[in-house]
Amino acid sequence: MSLANGNTDNAQKKLGEVYVVTSGKGGVGKTTVTASLGASLALKGKRVLVIDADIGLRNLDVILGLESRVVFNLVDVAKRVCKPSQAIIKSKKSNNLYLLPASQTDDKDVVSEDEVKRVIDQYRREFNFILVDCPAGIEQGFKNAIAGADKALVVTNPEVASIRDADRVVGILHSRGIEPKLIVNRIDFDMVRRGDMLSVPDVQDILGIDLIGVVERDEDVIVAANTGDPVAFNPKSEAGQAFMRIARRMCGEEVPLKGYIHGQGFWGRLGRRLGVA
Amino acid sequence: MFAALKEKILGIKSSKAQAKGRLHLVLVQDRTGLSGDEMGTFKADLLAVLKRYFVIDDTGLDVQYQRESNSTTLVINSPVLRKKPAVVTPDRKAEPAPA
Repeated sequence: MSLANGNTDNAQKKLGEVYVVTSGKGGVGKTTVTASLGASLALKGKRVLVIDADIGLRNLDVILGLESRVVFNLVDVAKRVCKPSQAIIKSKKSNNLYLLPASQTDDKDVVSEDEVKRVIDQYRREFNFILVDCPAGIEQGFKNAIAGADKALVVTNPEVASIRDADRVVGILHSRGIEPKLIVNRIDFDMVRRGDMLSVPDVQDILGIDLIGVVERDEDVIVAANTGDPVAFNPKSEAGQAFMRIARRMCGEEVPLKGYIHGQGFWGRLGRRLGVA
Repeated sequence: MFAALKEKILGIKSSKAQAKGRLHLVLVQDRTGLSGDEMGTFKADLLAVLKRYFVIDDTGLDVQYQRESNSTTLVINSPVLRKKPAVVTPDRKAEPAPA
């Protein structure tokens, strides 16, 4: 490809959408969500780059089963130690999915927000979607991860501590002009029915942001992490299917939420008519 | 529905209802950055200003942080009974209003 052709190609290519996957609280499923949505979008034929922004505590490589293939990382690209193309690793399961790993030895102050923005801009033309796996907390690592983002996926568990932290993160995202969408992860509908777990409408009411999807607690997710085979590549898994539904919504498709989530089933409606539920 | 029914009949609060209640309280504090005491002082200050211009229902003052899809706003609701007839000058010398 000559330089002239390369330039016109680039000018016509649509820039990829950059999502940051964040939560505030640690351990609620950000990395699983990032890996699985990346995989689902790739299965739909989109070119996806997932970026591990958890410098010093990298995990996205392990969840994707690519830990033995890491050569360069986000910090190397930011500091121009290598070319952007040298640092990304193709998934074993899809030609459309690539990983930019985090560095494991630095700490989060080693790069600045501007450096991270520049790194993301270097990849925007090559991918339809860029998903940034954000570290827990709201300090420099978080600020770096949201620096280049157009939109945010806020992951929360239907639990008090998780929701409280997610609320703080939503406030910060709003102040930065980044539109957040909610993913309720690890819900257990039996517990909801027993009155021992907050429901999806409860979480929506409290956080006040638009919902993009719900993922039930699923043992397949742990098995997938054990084997390094993202759950979204497993068509039999409930969680995998839930992630595919979210991916489809991210592509603009109208995918209805499952009925029992909103209490649209028979008992939910009856309860509301009796003024009880 | 059955959990809610059980709550109503037995008068016990489910753990999820407790969670909701606690979250609402703690989030007002987190969002405004004001502690319970500071919120009380803030409302008292607001009431004092409002009362210079309006006759209002003291008990009805409500302060909330509201979420839209891309913004968070402080919303202050105050039921107003009527405007106060007297005008207050900026340096706080109020002409007494006929009651």
